[in-house]
Amino acid sequence: MKPITETNDKHSFSPCGRLSSESLLRKTGQKKLKREIGMKTNKSSIAGITMSAPVIIMLTAFLIIPIMGTIYFSFFKYQVMRPDAKTFNGINNYLKLLTDENFYIALKNTVYFSILVVPFQCTLALVLALLVRSKMKGVAIFRTMYFSPQVTSMVVIAILWVILYNSNANTGLINAALSRIGLGPFDFLNNPKIAMNSIVFMSAWQGAGYQMMIFLAGLNAIPSEQYEAASVDGANPVDQFLYVTLPGLKNTIKYVLMITIIQAMKLFTQPYIMTKGGPQNKTKTMVYYIYEQGFQKGNFGYACCIAAIFFFIVVILSLVVKKLTRTK
Amino acid sequence: MKRRLMSAILAVSMTASLAACGSSSTPDGTAASQSPSTSGGSSSDAIQIKIWSPTDEVGVENWWTEKMAQWNSEHPEIQVSREAIDRADSYAYENKITTATTSNDLPDILFVDGPTVSYYAANQTIIPIDEVYTDEDKKDFMPSSVQQNTYDNHMYAIGPTESSVALYYNKDYLDAAGIPYPSDSNIEEAWTWTEFYENAKKLTTSDYVGTNIIMDKGEGLIYALEPFFLENGASFVSDDGSKAEGYVNSEAMVETMNYLNKFIKEGIANIDPVKDEFLNGKAATMLGGSWNIADLEKSDLNWGVSYYPVSDDHKAASPTGDWTAAVTKDCKNPEAAMEVLKWFFNTENVADYASAIAKPASRTSSYEKMEGWDNGVRALFLWQLQNTGVARPSTPSYSVLSQGFATAILNVFSGTDAKSELDTVAADFEEDYETYYGN
Repeated sequence: MKPITETNDKHSFSPCGRLSSESLLRKTGQKKLKREIGMKTNKSSIAGITMSAPVIIMLTAFLIIPIMGTIYFSFFKYQVMRPDAKTFNGINNYLKLLTDENFYIALKNTVYFSILVVPFQCTLALVLALLVRSKMKGVAIFRTMYFSPQVTSMVVIAILWVILYNSNANTGLINAALSRIGLGPFDFLNNPKIAMNSIVFMSAWQGAGYQMMIFLAGLNAIPSEQYEAASVDGANPVDQFLYVTLPGLKNTIKYVLMITIIQAMKLFTQPYIMTKGGPQNKTKTMVYYIYEQGFQKGNFGYACCIAAIFFFIVVILSLVVKKLTRTK
Repeated sequence: MKRRLMSAILAVSMTASLAACGSSSTPDGTAASQSPSTSGGSSSDAIQIKIWSPTDEVGVENWWTEKMAQWNSEHPEIQVSREAIDRADSYAYENKITTATTSNDLPDILFVDGPTVSYYAANQTIIPIDEVYTDEDKKDFMPSSVQQNTYDNHMYAIGPTESSVALYYNKDYLDAAGIPYPSDSNIEEAWTWTEFYENAKKLTTSDYVGTNIIMDKGEGLIYALEPFFLENGASFVSDDGSKAEGYVNSEAMVETMNYLNKFIKEGIANIDPVKDEFLNGKAATMLGGSWNIADLEKSDLNWGVSYYPVSDDHKAASPTGDWTAAVTKDCKNPEAAMEVLKWFFNTENVADYASAIAKPASRTSSYEKMEGWDNGVRALFLWQLQNTGVARPSTPSYSVLSQGFATAILNVFSGTDAKSELDTVAADFEEDYETYYGN
């Protein structure tokens, strides 16, 4: 850069005779520079493209094209068993959706589940993380135990909980235990008033282990000096938690909240295995409703329409959560 | 060093577990496949015929292995392979068919549940196979089987077995309650609705329930419970399968639904029965299929079988229908596939299949090669099948009807109004039929 600048400054008012050779030199220099920059740019962009290509290809193949496909098919009357006989249906699917009572029920159930499970699961995870943070001997066993539901298939866990939740005290473990202390039996999965709460409880139990590990990493990142300083200032454990731990975990909490909300909105396996969306539609979630319409009833076009709307709901919700939790 | 050792152990165990997954061929595997190379000789230009069917009991799985090996060695020009897919007491298998249809990836031969033949046929997922049946075959197959496999005057499927449901009872529990055993030789003495309800109520104790009426929470509901509705004079859809309004939500349907609900509401039957509830002595009676015989015969349980309960005015009906094989639209060699079907479901093979799972054979001629069906408990199932058997509704909107009915009855069992639930089933059916099959 420097020689060219100098050349420019020095010879900008030179006599005409020398101007041509000077300007020629200048032009040659610029070209060279441009070529060098261009080569560098080309090299770095090729490297950039090469490195991001796998992700871009995967995202395009498994995310962007399916989303586009979903939106495209949402404008069709499409019986799932007859892909060749689909017909364009305009915005009729969307108009039907506006008056579809089940859609609103599913949306309400999904929101209800999220509102309950997010604080419950996050609090449980934080409590577990605080418990297993200590350097006690054998604490790793507890960490593994709390994390183990996370590495087990949700289908397996859901089937196990169906057995645990069985309404008969002779066959259901939880009701058998409750009957010993004179409670129950409770029809955990068939009573419309408590079915969703039962799913909330088992979901939080299953999912808390993962959040616990994230909280644990966040807790370990808080410098021990802060606790020492706080205790010197006379802070008791509660004060330490409120004024050292919580502020130190601020970013971790935001991240955990975000992923838990998105996971909660996608609830499907538990109602599919445990309640089939019942009783009385009380556990029918958005994703379950999409499945029901698309696979069980064969209304693929309409299922795509619900999926498209649900996609926008989740995107908007994520943006709102992100904005609300943004650090200034 | 320690870390390296741990890594090595982990790597070996992961490889072992992956290898175990890859070679899964147990009946419990989610998708075990049986290929021609393992069961017979194959050449590269041989026509490949692929079969999908649900994972089945060990006896049936062995039947497949044995028959495929025999076919593949005798027919080098047509090689058969099979993929066993788990149903998981739900609609998992049907979901796989649906996804394969959208991507044109169906196998050549597909097992489908009897009443869904009309659904798949109406949607052209399966093709007519009239050539498979000779005139003698049509006479040889049970009428209920022919009826189930026919749609629009064409044969669309061929199946090895039929099915029936009867009332199993625990003799010790009946003795303890002072209830005489129901008849196993005269349907006139079968338990009526009132007797079934009252006896089941009397049999219920703190240790076991009076009966088990829930086979599963999917297709099993309409399959096992439909006869109650028919005995009460109801029908699910019109004769041509095009209307449900006024049928599935009729007064007789509501009345029957309320009758069945009494069992759940009063704790006489569990809405969530544990697996093998009757076998484990947790239920005094059970509406069970003939396929339960094998396990019960092996157990120490003191049990008996009587007829499916009849209405108070002695109208009798009993479930029929079973899984059946069809050729799909994606089959490249329908002629070869039909040849395969003809051989796999000939008299002898049907007899072997039916014996392996204790289900009634679909061919009358097969009974000559089967033991135990001329007397005893198996004979009762066969008698029911031939005399009181009724097919499930035949309609292209069957899947909407079946799933809607399952949801409705479970909702009623959890406390909703039967009429409004059945109205929803009727409305959903009408909408589906109107949208896709109406003119």
